[in-house]
Amino acid sequence: MVIDCLMLRDNIVESILGKTTQKRKSRIPAKLDFLQSATGLILSIFITLHLLFEASIIFGKDSMYAITKMFELDFFIEGGSPIFVSILAFIIFAIFILHALLAIRKFPRSYREYLRLRTHAELMRHSDTNLWIIQITTGFILLFLGSIHLYTMLTQPANIGPFASSDRVYSDMFWPLYLMLLISVVLHAGAGVYRLIIKWGWFDGKKPKENRLKNRKIVKIVTVIYLIIGLFSLITYIKIGYEHQNSYGERYKVTSK
Amino acid sequence: MKIKYTEALIIGGGLAGLRSAIATTKRGLDTIVLSLVPVKRSHSAAAQGGMQASLANSVMGEGDNEDVHFADTVKGSDWGCDQEVVRMFVQTAPKAIRELASWGVPWTRIKGGNREVVINTKRTTITEKDEAHGLINARDFGGTKKWRTCYTADATGHTMLYAVANEAMRLGVVIEDKKEAISLITENNQCYGAIVRDLKTGELTAYVAKGTLIATGGYGRIYKQSTNATICKGTGHAIALEAGAYLANMEAVQFHPTPIVPSGILLTEGCRGDGGVLRDKDGYRFMPDYEPEKKDLASRDVVSRRMLEHIRKGKGVKSPYGEHLWLDISILGREHIEKNLRDVQDISKTFNGIDPADEGEKGWMPVLPMQHYSMGGIRVTPKGESVNIKGLFACGEAACWDLHGFNRLGGNSVSETVVAGMIIGEYFADFCSRNDIIIGTTVVEDELKRQDDYINYLLSLNGGEKIYDIKDRMRTIMQEKVGIFRNGKDLDDAVKELSELLEKTKHITVSNKCRLLNPELEEAYKVPMMLKVALCVAKGARERKESRGAHYREDYLKRDDKNWLNKTITYWKNPDDLEPSIKYEPLDIMKMEMPPAFRGYGRKGQIIENPLSKKRQQEIDRIKAEHKGDRFELQEKLMPYNLPNGYKDRNERLGVGYE
Amino acid sequence: MSREITITAFKYNPSDKNSKPTFAEYKLTETPGMTLYIALTKIKATIDHDLSSDFVCRAGICGACGMIINGKPRLACKTLTSEFKDGKIELLPLPTFKLIKDLSVDTGSWMKNMSIRVQSWIEAHEQTDITKIEKRVEPEVAQEVFELDRCIECGLCVAACSTAIMRKDFVGAVGLNRVARFQIDPHDKRTDSDFYEIIGDDEGIFGCMSLLACEDHCPKNLPLQSKIAYMRRKMVKA
Repeated sequence: MVIDCLMLRDNIVESILGKTTQKRKSRIPAKLDFLQSATGLILSIFITLHLLFEASIIFGKDSMYAITKMFELDFFIEGGSPIFVSILAFIIFAIFILHALLAIRKFPRSYREYLRLRTHAELMRHSDTNLWIIQITTGFILLFLGSIHLYTMLTQPANIGPFASSDRVYSDMFWPLYLMLLISVVLHAGAGVYRLIIKWGWFDGKKPKENRLKNRKIVKIVTVIYLIIGLFSLITYIKIGYEHQNSYGERYKVTSK
Repeated sequence: MKIKYTEALIIGGGLAGLRSAIATTKRGLDTIVLSLVPVKRSHSAAAQGGMQASLANSVMGEGDNEDVHFADTVKGSDWGCDQEVVRMFVQTAPKAIRELASWGVPWTRIKGGNREVVINTKRTTITEKDEAHGLINARDFGGTKKWRTCYTADATGHTMLYAVANEAMRLGVVIEDKKEAISLITENNQCYGAIVRDLKTGELTAYVAKGTLIATGGYGRIYKQSTNATICKGTGHAIALEAGAYLANMEAVQFHPTPIVPSGILLTEGCRGDGGVLRDKDGYRFMPDYEPEKKDLASRDVVSRRMLEHIRKGKGVKSPYGEHLWLDISILGREHIEKNLRDVQDISKTFNGIDPADEGEKGWMPVLPMQHYSMGGIRVTPKGESVNIKGLFACGEAACWDLHGFNRLGGNSVSETVVAGMIIGEYFADFCSRNDIIIGTTVVEDELKRQDDYINYLLSLNGGEKIYDIKDRMRTIMQEKVGIFRNGKDLDDAVKELSELLEKTKHITVSNKCRLLNPELEEAYKVPMMLKVALCVAKGARERKESRGAHYREDYLKRDDKNWLNKTITYWKNPDDLEPSIKYEPLDIMKMEMPPAFRGYGRKGQIIENPLSKKRQQEIDRIKAEHKGDRFELQEKLMPYNLPNGYKDRNERLGVGYE
Repeated sequence: MSREITITAFKYNPSDKNSKPTFAEYKLTETPGMTLYIALTKIKATIDHDLSSDFVCRAGICGACGMIINGKPRLACKTLTSEFKDGKIELLPLPTFKLIKDLSVDTGSWMKNMSIRVQSWIEAHEQTDITKIEKRVEPEVAQEVFELDRCIECGLCVAACSTAIMRKDFVGAVGLNRVARFQIDPHDKRTDSDFYEIIGDDEGIFGCMSLLACEDHCPKNLPLQSKIAYMRRKMVKA
């Protein structure tokens, strides 16, 4: 109780003065800014790998199955266990929520702010500003679609596999969700990574202006490639799901050895 | 009725005003600075090339000191200056620049070792001493013996203004911008503040103060073509004039050789200082023919006249905007231009589509002399106080202190703003500390009411004349008849027509009757003020029957030291007068440290000598011959002067210490 | 050769109760090399005596004449009318600043508040003896400080900034650049931790979203992108 009370007092002081009891500014905003970037970066790395693993379906059901099993740690536990997927989904979900919490601070938060931002962007027609509009829009979409997806993975980790996933995509009518999720997440991650590069000046070098254009180009190309890969694998899942609709629920067995 | 009280009131927020405010604030005085615009937008920011101070850090400045700077300035002024003031100035300038460095002006610094410069169109290597590494650099400017102009690329005024404004904010100086002083509050020839119009609301307030200092800059906008900012209308001069103060040497108007055509935006003298040259329609570099010694870098009045002379010979380049000449800096090389003359390049690219770094003809910029600087101003003593109104001070371009006489050297004006701010600021603080406000509120209220009524009167006028037309006509007259080459007939016409225009302002109609935020109303009270200033210029020029510095009479070609070694004093006797009254204040040769002689450039054999010049020279030679001791003691014998606040202390220099 | 151009300007006088926000349209003949300064001066003298706008140096040096020109924040004095092929130019006052009248906004008060807030001055903690030879500064360092000191407080970076558009208290690129300028100045003795006290919050460096509209609209081409990133790195560690 006493400790709680002291902490509360510290908070009271800071909310009145905008400074800590040592009459200094809180370091929390610095940490929040850093964390926003860090969580974003982790999620971006995750999503780049996720999309690649998922695209294994393009190379056949077997390769996708192998990767699924790998995530169930079948090299560690005989036959693997979906619980590991659940754990991974939980960690990502936590980072995802934290990232959303941090990023939402930047969103317009009243009608006037929204109106001013929109008018401003419409008038100025400035590439990076428009990109940010895309980013908050996709971010907002992700907040819902991403949550649904992550919750599904958290609770039904066993339903991943060449047939199980395809059934979900096609027969369970997840494909519209996945299509929107795919586009949103790729654009969001692409814009986010570009923003991180600028924000921290990672590749500024001697000619920041030119390097910015270069970086933007690279990120753009990578984004498009990922969109194509993602779409291809989604189509593949739809195709398998369509063909497999009559055997809904049946699990995949490795054919060739 | 709104009345505000303060101790020191400063009108004008450029370098001179802000530096003075720092002086009074440091002395603990309650200070208010009024400015037409946010202070960092003041016209001081437009000074590009640099600030003169005899630091002698660079190898090209070796041997420079106060004495050399003094001689250059006096010659530049064509002996029209106050030599005592010049001494005060040259002694303080090195301190000013060092103070500014400590306030953050990022002066361009010397790199020890070899560096390439362009001298006389040839690339030359000079070697800077290693001991000078990291000290403040200097470039060459017109009319100087040494490279003395310290600079930050070509944005010197900007960086100085920001540093001084920042320092003023650090000290908590109260700065009120978008405020215009429209009249002074005076009683028994003493000034107690000003009536001020708020340009954000249109409201009038009386600012009552122990002392009032005017630092409102020049009056270039009375000319059609001027490098000056739109706010340089001379209203500061006008309110002093209307309060009865004497203005001096108003006819001494400088025309800068190289504003770009047609926009009139200045291209710094640094262009030529760094090695750029003027060319005619044949691409020929003509200045060495006229001025074999200083060439393109003779003083501004001389170069401007030579340029027009050359155009009159049919060597001008024809264009839709009339004839012009070329300024060629492409010979300096792209690297130099993009580092040291960046704003010049930006201006030329933006307004003319010419990249001056492009080699050959393609990079030449069209230039023509235009109004640039007002040497004349409110006549003040060396302490900066008006000679005839107590408690009214002035400094910077607004004042005739008088550092520049009839021609100002490049780099001396931006230097003057800060130096005068330091010196006059101290004397102004002395005055404010020692005097009380002993004026009745009724006097203040009466003046406030008078101005209030005047605005109503302007709005009630219904004569049909348009204020914009009157202004336009005034600016054309000044341009055509009171320009670089002047003659009796034109000047006579000018005075007459300007008087008629002044009369016409009483028969205008202001179409919009709104009292607040009404740009037309602002014109209606400003244009009569500008006309009064213009009349002082034109009448002063008409009466001065000689050629001196920038004042050049085609009907009186010689500098006449016998009859005209004096200052023109113009003043407004009665409010209803349509012309200023005029009288003269003589300059005393026998007190000069440097009696009148040939400047070393300009046309030879054009001086009507005063017999006293020779006499004084002999006296000086005698004192010099008999003198034992250092140069400071000798100077003291020749022409003693005072400075406040330790500014007379000796300045340390590389290699020579405090010698 | 000369064509007719149409300039549309926002008009409103907040101090006049009867004034209503309108868009006034002016037609005038273009002259060679015409800038918006020349055009607006002509409109004011001949068509509409009541139109207010701010011009001081008319040479792109003082930063007074920022406005929204066909959607973009720019300096009017440096904008040539010939640039607009269809001859249509729409002028709006800069957003985020308090409107004075028509195209005139109060950048002065905003900038003054910003300067005081970021303590835009040298803190040397010592007296300089001005009779002595000045303190040495490496030429490259002086040059670097100068690069950042070229800011003219025109407010275009603020008007272009999405954070500033939404959040009134954001310090803007101008403020962050100013802090960077003093941070690298050898005359200034403040530490990074001192600067954190000034800009270490969401109204300061952490409010910046790095959209770079500041950098892209800066009439002085200041290196805002790299300098803001630089300050962010410093402040996260401070």
